[in-house]
Amino acid sequence: MELLRKDPLREFAPQLERTSIQGYLWIVFLLAVIGLGIYAFFSQVFYGHEVTGMRDNVVWGVYIVNFIFFMGISYAGALISGTLHLFKTAWRKPIIRMAEFITIIALLIGPCFILLCIGRLDKLHYLVIFGRIQSPITWDVIAISTDIFGCFIFLYLSVLRDLAKLRDYELLQLPNWRKKLYKLLALGYTGTPEQKQRLNRASDIMAAMVIAIAIIVYSVLAWIFSVTLQPGWHSTIFGPYFVIAAVYSGSAVLILCMWLFRRIYHLEEYITKKHFVAVGVIMLVLAAFFGYFTFSDYLTKWYGSEKNDEMLIQLLFKEFYWPFIISNYIGVLLPLIVVGIAKFRTITNITITAVVVIIALWLNRYIIVVPTLESPYLPIQDSRPEWLNYTATWVEWSLTAAGVAVFALLFTLASKFITIVPVSGLHGEEQNEEAIV
Amino acid sequence: MKRVFALSLILVSMFFRPTFTQAGEQTDSTNIPVESRMGLTYLCSADTIILTATLSIRKGDLTLGLENAPVEFTASNGTTINQLGKAKTDQEGNAVFKVLVSGLPSDQDGLVSFLAKFAGTEKYPEAEASFIAKPAKIKLFFNIEDSTRMMKVTVTQKNEKGEEIPIGKETVHVYVPRLFSLLKIGEISLEEDGTGTLEFPKEIVGDTLGNLMVIAKIEEHDQFGFVQGQNVINWGVHKQYYTAEVPSRELWTPIAPLWMIITLLIMLAGVWAHYVYAVYELVMIKRLSKKDKPLT
Repeated sequence: MELLRKDPLREFAPQLERTSIQGYLWIVFLLAVIGLGIYAFFSQVFYGHEVTGMRDNVVWGVYIVNFIFFMGISYAGALISGTLHLFKTAWRKPIIRMAEFITIIALLIGPCFILLCIGRLDKLHYLVIFGRIQSPITWDVIAISTDIFGCFIFLYLSVLRDLAKLRDYELLQLPNWRKKLYKLLALGYTGTPEQKQRLNRASDIMAAMVIAIAIIVYSVLAWIFSVTLQPGWHSTIFGPYFVIAAVYSGSAVLILCMWLFRRIYHLEEYITKKHFVAVGVIMLVLAAFFGYFTFSDYLTKWYGSEKNDEMLIQLLFKEFYWPFIISNYIGVLLPLIVVGIAKFRTITNITITAVVVIIALWLNRYIIVVPTLESPYLPIQDSRPEWLNYTATWVEWSLTAAGVAVFALLFTLASKFITIVPVSGLHGEEQNEEAIV
Repeated sequence: MKRVFALSLILVSMFFRPTFTQAGEQTDSTNIPVESRMGLTYLCSADTIILTATLSIRKGDLTLGLENAPVEFTASNGTTINQLGKAKTDQEGNAVFKVLVSGLPSDQDGLVSFLAKFAGTEKYPEAEASFIAKPAKIKLFFNIEDSTRMMKVTVTQKNEKGEEIPIGKETVHVYVPRLFSLLKIGEISLEEDGTGTLEFPKEIVGDTLGNLMVIAKIEEHDQFGFVQGQNVINWGVHKQYYTAEVPSRELWTPIAPLWMIITLLIMLAGVWAHYVYAVYELVMIKRLSKKDKPLT
């Protein structure tokens, strides 16, 4: 009842108006990491891919792992926010914007890692000029660009009410350019019944679309692997397996974001244990599905005893033992235990579990990509022994760190531009939204 | 906030662990000993022996071929040493030297001892490798017997007088070269007189004239090492380049299958139609704002 009496915008105003010293230091730190990434990028451009660990045999490494990971959490954000929106889940409001931000920001970062894999960036436009519809790479280009448009529209529809509120809130002490920007972006929305109806209709349609597109796009990404005959990749369940893994990792990233913003902006009243448990339960269900798909995939490969599959499984249990154990055992069992057993179900435990799941899912993508490339069907002639195995170099790690830093920076800046918790309809005021002005 | 910083620093420090070094990067430390390694392979083909010495340098965990290094080749029979010549290594560290079989010093069993030696430099220590083998020769013949294509091989070695004598009871492997490697088409077990036959397969694809290069090999023999003979015969299936009368819509042709284009267009049209509708609703919201008065 106390919450209902508060004006959420007044409460969130400091978040938009001011940045603390720690906040500036955090941004400087992120910029420093990004700077290191830029230096690494130029090293790669000047000296070529020789400065990476990628060679003739293992042509994909950490970059493609990051690409899959970021695209995964993006699709997860779309699926979670779209589903929560469509089902009008009561508790969704405080966390739905984080899911939407995850979608867009990760979607902007993910494809950059693909660009890092390309040796001749000056010929990038050939992908469009000489693109073949038959190529899964072309499917991916079309799918990702379509997804970016869709997610931007969905995010814009979702923030429109808040933009209108920010435009009309006179007590907000912001520079004029920002007020003008809010006015421009709010599109003159005042919450008339007809505007509200049109906005709801468009939001519902786009929520459904982003769910469908997320599933299709991530399946396309999985098909890039599974349409090849490579051991470990040629699997009919790779599409749904990737989708489940994506939503699973995304739910963990959402929990981590919830924990961080709860601490930084003191949102304890809005993001409560109930939210952590709710998203934790989503994570638990996805952990069970992920475990099931993983087991099913490896069981059929192992039982079939096809020569190369057998070699791959041996490799996974020897050279990639710990990544395999962390991603497929600890990453599956931990959420089941922590969220499944009531006495372990605390905010801290759920967050720690989410961090473990994020690491596990990143490693999962690593052991999908690298071991397969290290055991090709056709041995490459005249290949040096040290080229057969992959080890990421400082260039790749720096660019990976820069990718994470860009994600954190964009999230930080986005939370400075618009409230991280939607202020419209926070206290069930969607019903009487007319009162926004 | 402090904890966030601490966590970030820990994460960043994890990325910069010294264990992650650039592949192929040499740690500039003089303490790491440098080791030279030499390997020598031998192939006797017709009247020529091809010696390939592979020189590599090992420094720490890194092994690289040494380029442009002079390798000296010698042949001996235990008492006489013949200087055969020198060859320089390529970028992979391989030095190839060809020498005629005639005139090589051999011992009473006909064995020749080959030695490849890298004299070393200030930076890289010396290395050498040897190989002992008895030169042999494989000849290939083709003839048709009762409408059956037969391939015959004869394998010989030279005795002390320089006469060719047969090598019997050995196995000869027969190959044809394909795009990436040799395709094995059969095995021949030699008779006492050093000859053997093989019914030549009918379905091997040759060039446009049906020409096939056929290679017969004795591999990793204790005495003879690697021996190879080759010949060309036009018994292959004539290669025909397929030219479709109309553009074909297969996965590998420039034009995509029709079903794929239709599916893609339907999906894209469906998705973008919804996008356009959502943008249309936004435009209408903007228009309504001009038309309607604010509720306040």
